[in-house]
Amino acid sequence: MTEDKQAPASGSILVVGGGISGLTTALEAAEVGYEVFLVEKNPYLGGRVAQLKQYFPKLCPPTCGLEINFRRIKDNPRIKVFTLAEVEKVSGVPGDYTAEIKLNPRYINENCTCCGECAQACKMEVANDFNFGMDRIKGAYLPHEMSFPARYVLSPQIIGTEDAQRAKDACKYDAVDLDMSAKTLKLDVGAVVWATGWQPYDANRIDNLGYGRHPNIITNMMMERMAAPNGPTKGAIQRPSDDKAPESVAFVQCAGSRDENHLPYCSYICCMASLKQATYVREQYPDARIYIFYIDIRTPGQRYEKFYQDIKADENIFLIKGKVAEVEEDPDTKNITVVAENAVTGEKIRQTVDMAVLATGMQPAAATTQLPADLTFNADGFIVNDFEKGGMFGAGCANKPADVMSSNQNATGMAMKAIQTLVRR
Amino acid sequence: MTDKYLVEPDIGFLNEVVGLGGDTLKKCYQCATCSVACPISPDNKPFPRKEMIAASWGLKDRLVGNADVWLCHNCGDCTTLCPRDAKPGDVMAAIRSYAITEYARPKGMAQAVNKINKLPMLLGFPVALIIILGAITGLVNWSPTGEIVHAKFISTWLEDILIIPASIFAVVVFALGLKRFIADIHQNALDAGKTDKEKIDAAEFLKALVRVIPRILKHSKFSQCGENEERATSHMMVFFGFIGLFIVTGIFFVVLYIFGIHGPYSQLNPVKWLANIAGVSLVIGSALMIKNRLAKTDQVSTYKDWQLIGLALALGLTGMLTEMTRLGGAAGLSYTLYFIHLVFVFALFVYLPFSKLAHLVYRTVAMAYAEYSGRKF
Repeated sequence: MTEDKQAPASGSILVVGGGISGLTTALEAAEVGYEVFLVEKNPYLGGRVAQLKQYFPKLCPPTCGLEINFRRIKDNPRIKVFTLAEVEKVSGVPGDYTAEIKLNPRYINENCTCCGECAQACKMEVANDFNFGMDRIKGAYLPHEMSFPARYVLSPQIIGTEDAQRAKDACKYDAVDLDMSAKTLKLDVGAVVWATGWQPYDANRIDNLGYGRHPNIITNMMMERMAAPNGPTKGAIQRPSDDKAPESVAFVQCAGSRDENHLPYCSYICCMASLKQATYVREQYPDARIYIFYIDIRTPGQRYEKFYQDIKADENIFLIKGKVAEVEEDPDTKNITVVAENAVTGEKIRQTVDMAVLATGMQPAAATTQLPADLTFNADGFIVNDFEKGGMFGAGCANKPADVMSSNQNATGMAMKAIQTLVRR
Repeated sequence: MTDKYLVEPDIGFLNEVVGLGGDTLKKCYQCATCSVACPISPDNKPFPRKEMIAASWGLKDRLVGNADVWLCHNCGDCTTLCPRDAKPGDVMAAIRSYAITEYARPKGMAQAVNKINKLPMLLGFPVALIIILGAITGLVNWSPTGEIVHAKFISTWLEDILIIPASIFAVVVFALGLKRFIADIHQNALDAGKTDKEKIDAAEFLKALVRVIPRILKHSKFSQCGENEERATSHMMVFFGFIGLFIVTGIFFVVLYIFGIHGPYSQLNPVKWLANIAGVSLVIGSALMIKNRLAKTDQVSTYKDWQLIGLALALGLTGMLTEMTRLGGAAGLSYTLYFIHLVFVFALFVYLPFSKLAHLVYRTVAMAYAEYSGRKF
């Protein structure tokens, strides 16, 4: 590094985003002695990973990994976590940044024991974003069983209603504080790591694939929630239209990815995600038939390739090379017919299934919400890291579409880059 | 499909298809969205996905003699949904354009029709022909007097000396081309497993042709195309404009040589009504086509596209204006326009088998073949 630059004004690191990448960056930096502020906009940590049923390829639940990380955070006094917090502005130069953080009110303080009395007292229900709106929850809620911090939260939608008062009255520990208001916090930090993650591409925009028009067409992230034991159906995979157990499921790969009309890039994870979800269905319904329509199956690396080969060997799973470009719904049965050309045989296929899963891709958060800092983005909204300039870095899926493993590797690397900014030797 | 296939790319063919508007074909990654997006593609061996890969591999023999490229009406539904921004519709059009040149003989003439710099020569040829033949035969009167009758200027004899051989020439060129074309599309269908008919039965084939013609007249395939429906309307106007004028010309010819009655006909004559309606339809239809093409920036428009629409518009305009100036009594102007009109009519017939208008014959035959071979499209 250059010698003419000044010594860092602050020795701390700001990590924006408390998903698997942000957690990793924060922990890696903190565990070698640096002070870290971890800012998360949701009321819980864990991000997209917390919504999964299982990781691929080992098919272990996300508790494995997240719990360990939460434990490490609890034990580490150098990490300060802010949930329900948004970065409003970052100004300054590498080694000397000022970040303005808006802390949104949780309306529940640290007295909360997660007894759940407040939720029981509430009468109104609100859509559950954690489950992509597939169920409704009370306005006082615990985001999910593994929430960290383990504390209830009041939805802003019930503030000012009778429900808010009911929740307050029900609490035996004086944990509900309706007078909480948004606060702004200024942090002086030397480096910022943006681990702002991704959102599923809006399937409503893929007009020819029928999502939003036909209830039995869902997205891959909805499938994760449905299959997860803490999901809206307690883990039962069923058709949204009639709660029937599906006898056949079609997976539509590249739904909006590798598509100049939508996301021009490969989202990297959707092939493995669909192959993994095929195992969810096969496990629950041993006779169910699964049709996976793809352009190319992309399972990079020896372990993913082996996973793919194992799926291929399953005689109830049919892999068809050809992208689904048309869907129809039978108005009586609500069955879905997907249409594709099998490019190997040159025959058009009309496969009728009980439900279809769109393998929608990942869009970086910055594609739809501008990050309030002097960063460089590519045309798709991914952060382009400028290591010459240093100071601020994109990690995980804010930087490129990636699986959990690569996100963690990348996030660890960005912890190192942040530390280099502070040390400057 | 054979087990072993040695790919022998024809680079010259590939480059020509690229030059004829198929420049996006290399973007294709074979996802097959296009085959599903196409509203008229059959379920068995649908197009245009297989044409896209054959084109990018330069497999000329799989494309030029492939009836499927003619079943496509270039509506652009495939192009709209293509995730790679490739334009399968334009690639198919480029292959058709190449095929017209391929089947037309003499080759030199086909190449000349494809080149804009040969246009003055192609139009100059009929001009010179009228002048020279007029001088030799004395059938052109360069200073007609009295009431405006175009036959006073250029005799109907001379007209027919020009147009009849021109039509025969077109028929012969088509006949020779079709002989090879039909053999090729049948072989292609056999190789690709698109038909179970071993040989072409001429009588059955003609029956299929008869079944197809009403569909063509109704534009029933054309109007299934979703993305640019308005094209079917303008195409229908030009199509029926030409048919109407062809009928009128036929009646003229018969009445002239059998009954010895000369034009121009009275405006009250029903044949004249038909002529006027057809002429207006041709002008409006071709003007609409120009408007649509100019507005549709995502579709490739090549010289051959403009050449055909331009010719249709020129034919319609010069024809209508000749009549209007005649009725208006502008003799000099009317005779001049008539001369120009005649040049375009001659060009229409002589260059027909080489121009984009040849699709009239090739697409009809390909659709009849698809019907004959049991290809459900």
